Amino acid sequence: MNTGPVTNLVASAALNLMAFNFNKRSSVREYMRSNGSWIDFTIGIVIEDSSFERALTFRNGQVTVLKKIPADADCKLIVPYEKTFKELLGLPPNETLTYLMKNKIRTEGNLSYMSLFNYYVAVQLARINKGKFAKVKKKDHAQRLAEAPDVDPGIRSEMPKRHRERMVGERVDQGVKHLEDPFLSRYGIEDFPRLEKFLDIHFTVRPELCSERPKLLTDWFVENGFETDREGNPWFPPLRQGYAFKYLMENRKPIIREDDLIAGTTSSREIGVVIYPDTHGTTIWSELGSTGDRLLNPYTTDEETAATFHRYIFPYWVHRNMREWVRETYGNPLSQQMDERFAVYFMWKTAALSHTIADFPKVLKLGLSGIIREIEEELASDEDAGQEKKDTLRGMVLCLEGVGTYAEHLSEQAAREAARENDLARKKELERLADICARVPWNPSETVDEALNAIWIVWLSLHMESTNAGLSIGRMDQWLQPFFEADVARLSTEEEKEEYVKRVIELVGCFYMRCTDHLPLIPDIGNYLFGGSSSDQVITLGGVTPEGEDAVNDMTYVFLKVTEILNIRDPNVNARYHPDKNSETYLKRLCEVNLITAATPSMHNDKVVMESLAEFDYPPEDLRDWSATGCVEPTLCGKHLGHTNCMMMNVVAALEMALNNGRHPLMNWEVGPKTGSIGNGDFQTFEDFYQAFCTQYEFLIDNSVEYNNLLGEAHSVIRPTPLLSSLISDSIDKGKDVTVGGARYNTSGTANIGLADVTDSLMVIKQLVYDEGKVSFGDLKKAVDTDFENDPALHALVTSKVPLFGSGDEEAVAMAQRVSRFAHDKFAAHRNFRGGKYTTGWWSMSNHVAFGTLSGALPSGRRAGKAFTPGLTPEPNASRNLLDNIRDVAKLDPHCMNNNIAFNVKVVPGATDTHERVVDHMFSYAKTYFDLGGMQMQMNVVTSEMLRDAMAHPENYRNLLVRISGYNAYFVTLYRELQLELIERAEYGI
Amino acid sequence: MTHEPPEKRRPLILEIKGNSLDDGPGIRTVVFFKGCPLSCIWCHNPESKKTGPELSFDPRECVGCDSCIGVCPLGALDRANARFIDREKCDLCYECVEACPSGALSRVGRYLEPDEVVAEVEKDLPFFRTSGGGVTFSGGEPTLYMDYASDLLSRLKEIGVHTLIETCGLFDWEQFGAKMLPLLDTVYFDLKIADPDKHKAHCGASNDVILENFRRLCDVCADGGPELLPRIPLIPGSTSDEENLKSIAGILEQNGMGRLAVLQYNPLWVEKSGKIGAPAPPLGGTGWTKWMERAELERCRSYFDDFELA
Repeated sequence: MNTGPVTNLVASAALNLMAFNFNKRSSVREYMRSNGSWIDFTIGIVIEDSSFERALTFRNGQVTVLKKIPADADCKLIVPYEKTFKELLGLPPNETLTYLMKNKIRTEGNLSYMSLFNYYVAVQLARINKGKFAKVKKKDHAQRLAEAPDVDPGIRSEMPKRHRERMVGERVDQGVKHLEDPFLSRYGIEDFPRLEKFLDIHFTVRPELCSERPKLLTDWFVENGFETDREGNPWFPPLRQGYAFKYLMENRKPIIREDDLIAGTTSSREIGVVIYPDTHGTTIWSELGSTGDRLLNPYTTDEETAATFHRYIFPYWVHRNMREWVRETYGNPLSQQMDERFAVYFMWKTAALSHTIADFPKVLKLGLSGIIREIEEELASDEDAGQEKKDTLRGMVLCLEGVGTYAEHLSEQAAREAARENDLARKKELERLADICARVPWNPSETVDEALNAIWIVWLSLHMESTNAGLSIGRMDQWLQPFFEADVARLSTEEEKEEYVKRVIELVGCFYMRCTDHLPLIPDIGNYLFGGSSSDQVITLGGVTPEGEDAVNDMTYVFLKVTEILNIRDPNVNARYHPDKNSETYLKRLCEVNLITAATPSMHNDKVVMESLAEFDYPPEDLRDWSATGCVEPTLCGKHLGHTNCMMMNVVAALEMALNNGRHPLMNWEVGPKTGSIGNGDFQTFEDFYQAFCTQYEFLIDNSVEYNNLLGEAHSVIRPTPLLSSLISDSIDKGKDVTVGGARYNTSGTANIGLADVTDSLMVIKQLVYDEGKVSFGDLKKAVDTDFENDPALHALVTSKVPLFGSGDEEAVAMAQRVSRFAHDKFAAHRNFRGGKYTTGWWSMSNHVAFGTLSGALPSGRRAGKAFTPGLTPEPNASRNLLDNIRDVAKLDPHCMNNNIAFNVKVVPGATDTHERVVDHMFSYAKTYFDLGGMQMQMNVVTSEMLRDAMAHPENYRNLLVRISGYNAYFVTLYRELQLELIERAEYGI
Repeated sequence: MTHEPPEKRRPLILEIKGNSLDDGPGIRTVVFFKGCPLSCIWCHNPESKKTGPELSFDPRECVGCDSCIGVCPLGALDRANARFIDREKCDLCYECVEACPSGALSRVGRYLEPDEVVAEVEKDLPFFRTSGGGVTFSGGEPTLYMDYASDLLSRLKEIGVHTLIETCGLFDWEQFGAKMLPLLDTVYFDLKIADPDKHKAHCGASNDVILENFRRLCDVCADGGPELLPRIPLIPGSTSDEENLKSIAGILEQNGMGRLAVLQYNPLWVEKSGKIGAPAPPLGGTGWTKWMERAELERCRSYFDDFELA
């Protein structure tokens, strides 16, 4: 029955009612007001199969319903089927978003306005939505309890037990100068009540949206202009950002957290969600009234904050963000449209360009004042410096001064608090903080506590400048060791030294906990795309020094101790292990910390990661100073803008498009080139089909690169980063911001997702269709299109009779290698906006689940909607033998994986195994993998049983850490499908 | 196709299983031999009892496509049959295994040239090196094939692999001493039941040769031979009673052996028996389908307080 007319009546009535409410009810009408004026925009709404079309125009505080969508409408919401429209009416708001993600509905045009429109809808339905959210939570809770496994409650004491069993380490590493037991086995978290308290805050305080940064910046831009200055002259963006940043830092509230040993905060809240309206900030617009109600990772948004964002901040930035700049400047290119449909690639560049590592050693050595001197000397010595260089450098100086002023404010604040502090011990700490902040980061640092405070203040300042997504800290153990040694040299007795080591553990612990003082903005849809991710601030330990010697030192082990006792997700700790230079004792300790924390650190083969970058011919001393960034990706510290997570590419999408002659099934969009039809018998040989796959993959690569480059340009216009530039060589010499190529090394790093799924599918097609002729391509395609529902025998055949990647089969490895080489070569042929090459990585954050949700069944037998494998981890059923997995992954050529990989291994200790035995086995796997040339490995040491229990009883597992693909997360904060993916990973007893 | 005769010089290999952590030190690769001179009713690898090849059917893997039924030349497969396979009719042509898409039907036992075994094992050498592991011969009973085993052991020793055998102890001492002993780093020697009659009833043969071999091995090993570890499988209703365990403790003492391993009961054999069509013996009250309770394990261990438990 055609219910179109009825649906159209309902839709029409709903829009008329909305217009009526806005026009006639003064409390609702207020929502259209912005900063003394009105928010004006037009949105079109289309239901395609019932030919419904309307527009709502918001102008001068009046809403009008139009029957025809004007050509200049700001955005459009398109619903393909009236059936979907009816479903939408009953959905809770978060599921509306999954409809968007699953391409059941789509948008065109300005996404900020779309977000605003959704906010208007939510405002009207506030009460109903609250009820729906409550229902969602209740249902979720009931489902979890219903699925509760029957487990021995003793399982819940497993993690605390691991923390109690600690090995003593031998002092064998040359760089370890003072620690007799480098494993520091005598210390547990119970020895640090201050850190215990901070941990409690971390796990119990709900994050809040913070308006401090965007409010102050908006104030400055409103006053001084964004595109043009007060005189109407175009702003030079790096200079403009310098002034604005300085204003922000001068006017931020200087906060010292109660009992903290590190001064300064990222936001004005205990745990703040920092908003960057110049990138993706407006995505939270629609949720301003409901961030506290959502099921996953709720935020508090107080009314005043919501009003500030809605009335003041967001309207100012509607057009001034990366996506909209590209859309308006380049006419909404196809490459952008593809990104906004979620299913083929996701551009992180819309949110951030950071994903790099600043030159912190320079801050410690010269102080900010020294860097300003360097800039002044550069200006004085370069007689040919043009205006752009002068203004760029001027912007840097403004930023550095801003940070200096903020530190001064912190010092004054510490002194004020010290004056009124009654507790003598705390009074002394505050006085010390007042001294420290009066000295650093402005001057060079001299002690560990100064160095940590200097790094922290600069760190949070970098986050004030640009989005906190994967910006990473770097080689903290290397940079702090000289200060540690200098501090110890001033002590005379063994007791003093012991006391000092304990103090350093506490200080580093405070630094880690400071890093948890903020969260990246995750709109609810992000919970399903990037489950449980924090901002992924990587600290990298160990490896070799710039001179190529063993770099493991006392501070390496101090950081490992802190990683162990805190057991938190972020900072994301990565460890470099150099098979020729680092000791086995060190590797064993990495394994022990991994066992105790269940998921961290992630381990890298130092030699192989460096070899993977051979094509760049980096000078060895720079190359040896690499550090992981965001998840696992290599950045040469302080000299390299490698935007190592510019995009996440769904390789499976290319396969699906090859199977469908260029059409992407979920999007139902004939978007790719016509590469041949299976039905028409266009693929005579496997090679024919393989070429079709390559053509589609190349099409996706070309488009993603095009959009990424346009976004790169957008960053240079909307948000250059003079502070970051002043801390990356050779920006000062070149007089160029890093967003336009000021860094010495410029690359863009990609993450490619679904290698195992694609390889296995290609193996099935090759073997069963072409080599053995056991099934026709047409029949296989039909089974794939129907999710194997009608063909269990074929499903059994493809899943059990074809050797997969990870099974030890040479041909499967060669296939994986062929695909990875293709990706590498195609990406490497492109240049980014800053003039650098693209690199190719094989890790997935959590997008292997999100992209899996958006993909149909595959020839490999993977069912529709199921997660892909994480990173380049083999399928769980590739082999019962973990060694096959390890060998196959180690065989892949690192040169085709120069943005690193994530190889997940889930291992499970036996109930009666001793701590030492488990560590020994983990060590053997890791050591052999590295000996065989494996590049990166991350182990999850949990049982599925424990994970299932945690799904049902999250209250008992608040800090259960899991490694997703490259980053850590608390299991209980993840969405259901991701939790199940973790449970279903192959599990190997050890 | 025809039956392969149960020929002793050409053993069938059940499986070469890598990454074993429970069959000796380090990460090990276990070569399972098919066939055993004993026939313990509770054998935990029932598919290793017969020397000849067998057909295994795992109903959990079956997708019900009936491809196998169509290809069976003898009509031995029938859904109406509760066991699915009429093993009287089946002549092990394995046409059904070829046709089966899911692997529910599979062939048990395959002859491998020593070179093939070594090639398989060699892949694991890097893991042996980092973990102190090596190769374990298990079964079945590896000593059923002394020449083959000896050949394999010498090839493994040539490439520096640590070797270990798990044996039931029923073998010809002279041959063992000449062909295998010098090539072994470790011997895991099962002691199951002390009483000869009960041993015969439960394991299909008397234990006199086994005990004599154990005595000799204790002497050799104490005198610089391979490492020796006696192991006692705990089987409810068969080996785990107080009298038997005390008697075994006595045997160990007589032979001056101060250490042993006590193996917790493994009930998985019950299900495995079904796959190869061997009827599981009557369960009685022995609780053969369950893992052993912790307290019961502790009781069994308590008779060996004076020994080092490995």
